[in-house]
Amino acid sequence: MENNITTPAQPRVDKVAFSGKAGEFFGIWIVNLLLSIVTLGIYSAWAKVRTNQYFYGHTRIDQQPFRYLATPLQILKGRIIAVIIFGLFFVLSSLSPVFALLLALAFMFASPWLIVQSLKFNLRMTSYRNVRFAFHGDYLGALKYFVLLPLLSVFTLYLAMPWALKKIDHYLCSNISFGGKKLQINTDTSSYYIAALLAMAAMIGLGFVVAIAAFIIGMISAATFGSGFDGDAALGAVAVLLPIAMFAVYFVGFALSGAVYQSLIRNHLFERTELPGVAKFKSEMQVIPFMWLILTNLLAIIVTLGLAYPWAKIRKAAYMASVTTVAVYPGINSLVDEAQQNSNAFGEEAAGLFDVDVSLA
Amino acid sequence: MPGSVTVRGQFQHSGSSSLYAAELVLDSDGQLSVHCHSSGEQLAQAAPADYRFGSVIPGLPVELRLRDGAVFVPDDSRYRWPQLSKGAAMAERLESHKMSILAAIVLSPLLLWWIIVDLMPMLAGAAVPWVPDSVKQQMGRQTFYSLQQTALAPTELPAAEQAMVRYHWQMALQQLQLEQQEYRLHLFKSDFFGANAFALPDGTVVMTDQLVSLLKDNPDAILAVLLHEIGHVEGQHSVRLIAQSLGATLVIGIVFGNPEGVADLLLGSGSVLLQNAFSRDMEREADQFAIAKLTELGKSPQAFADAMSALLAKHSDEADTTSSLLKYLSTHPDTRERIEQATQP
Repeated sequence: MENNITTPAQPRVDKVAFSGKAGEFFGIWIVNLLLSIVTLGIYSAWAKVRTNQYFYGHTRIDQQPFRYLATPLQILKGRIIAVIIFGLFFVLSSLSPVFALLLALAFMFASPWLIVQSLKFNLRMTSYRNVRFAFHGDYLGALKYFVLLPLLSVFTLYLAMPWALKKIDHYLCSNISFGGKKLQINTDTSSYYIAALLAMAAMIGLGFVVAIAAFIIGMISAATFGSGFDGDAALGAVAVLLPIAMFAVYFVGFALSGAVYQSLIRNHLFERTELPGVAKFKSEMQVIPFMWLILTNLLAIIVTLGLAYPWAKIRKAAYMASVTTVAVYPGINSLVDEAQQNSNAFGEEAAGLFDVDVSLA
Repeated sequence: MPGSVTVRGQFQHSGSSSLYAAELVLDSDGQLSVHCHSSGEQLAQAAPADYRFGSVIPGLPVELRLRDGAVFVPDDSRYRWPQLSKGAAMAERLESHKMSILAAIVLSPLLLWWIIVDLMPMLAGAAVPWVPDSVKQQMGRQTFYSLQQTALAPTELPAAEQAMVRYHWQMALQQLQLEQQEYRLHLFKSDFFGANAFALPDGTVVMTDQLVSLLKDNPDAILAVLLHEIGHVEGQHSVRLIAQSLGATLVIGIVFGNPEGVADLLLGSGSVLLQNAFSRDMEREADQFAIAKLTELGKSPQAFADAMSALLAKHSDEADTTSSLLKYLSTHPDTRERIEQATQP
């Protein structure tokens, strides 16, 4: 840091700040939940916008917050379309197996369009310092990366899957732009293979630990119950506990391998991505703290019958912010987004029918 | 109309990342002007028609947006514009008021429960008569065809046993005055289903060789099973189950949005449990149908209990494991509960 005072492109380096509060968001969440239920789902569009506005507005880089610009009516329109499509899909595929197969095929070819549409919409609705993000991917690109590559990697017995995932991340990031500048990304295939292998190793390791523990418990209980205890009761207890234990192991395994993969890949991705002249990124996720966060969040949600959901969401957002550092270069001060300077900010002009995110969520 | 207000904050031109520390003045006519705090230069000016307030969210400042895309954000995140309409500030008041939060905590689960347990089945029941017959025919034919290709083999029952089952089938259809041509009985050998019977929405009923062999000494028990399956067709259970599952999936999807990661799995398992609950309700309905019709045909409801007992004995290991917890994972009610229902006076 010393001697750099004369360099004109001296960045301001700081962690992403998140100021959302669990108590505050709980009120927003629960009241919006009730209003959504009472209005048979219609208010859920308003709920989504308010929730996003809350999280975007409380996430700050260099003291400036993000903004979520979508209007509830846009979200509502997308949801109505999604409900109709989903309903048709559900009904038709229950009607006959042949239909179901045809629809699955149709969906495979429609999904890249839906993905691109959703990315375009969501990035265009994200603004930082009054400049919007944008996504430049097209249908063919999405078809290639989201359908063909994963399909191909199935034929390689998933050996090519980490490579396909790298390609997908690359496709996503390199098509994102901010204020007319595209993100530049330079990821390694090897990092994806290492992350995938470690995630698998974690899963297998957990499997071993559980198997050994189950064996020991089995031995102990056999010794205890074998000597004159009610064997039937023991069997009954095992029958009840086994599914619960399997469920728990499944969740822990899922969280563990997910945490390994996510932390390694996010760290790598942030390290190798930059917005030239505007920003560089750094992510310092650690597997164990992240997994602990995921598991305790889940546990809290289960124990409170869902009431801890807002707390868990805030806690995760705060963690994600705390492990993320952004170096902001002075170039940020002079970004101009010409496309949006000419448009009506109130969105009153008729938007295309499909200028929406076709999504239930 | 509130008087003139002056607010300190941050101003940005449309589509530009440059920040200005600024002062905004809203006069009593609603005319707005923004001046740079350091230079005093005027940055923007607008009439009431050309600016709007952003959403009022707890803990966040309320921004003021100009029609051209410029934006002014007050420095004080608690500042609320006196010009804000009552409606605009309503959501925030509800979201931060203790009473409304408490009401939401109590009412949300109750209402959600009522929608899924009462409203959805009711709507599904009302929607079913609107499903055209041709759709049900198609559903049944398609499913029957795929099952024949995968899980069903030609029957190997002796002719006498086949005739016995068919006799009871015909007798039940005739005496209950059901449309003959709407129902078809098929016998198949199936290692996949084992001792089992099922009904398709177009009136196709399939009983496996294994089940006939199990119950052949008790023809009334076979009749009870056939009546149970006819109950599924009469109640249009396949279509209703689809409608209910669709409804519940949509409600859960829309209300809870898209919780990340593991919570998603949890909701997923929740809807499976819910579907199973719907399925159990319909099994109970079909059971009641069978028991009622047995009485109508002058048989004892005990025949139904006998059929269930025989199945229970066959899957005797199942009996041990049917604990209070596992019953939520099952698509059928507990067999002993079903027997009890049939043997009640």
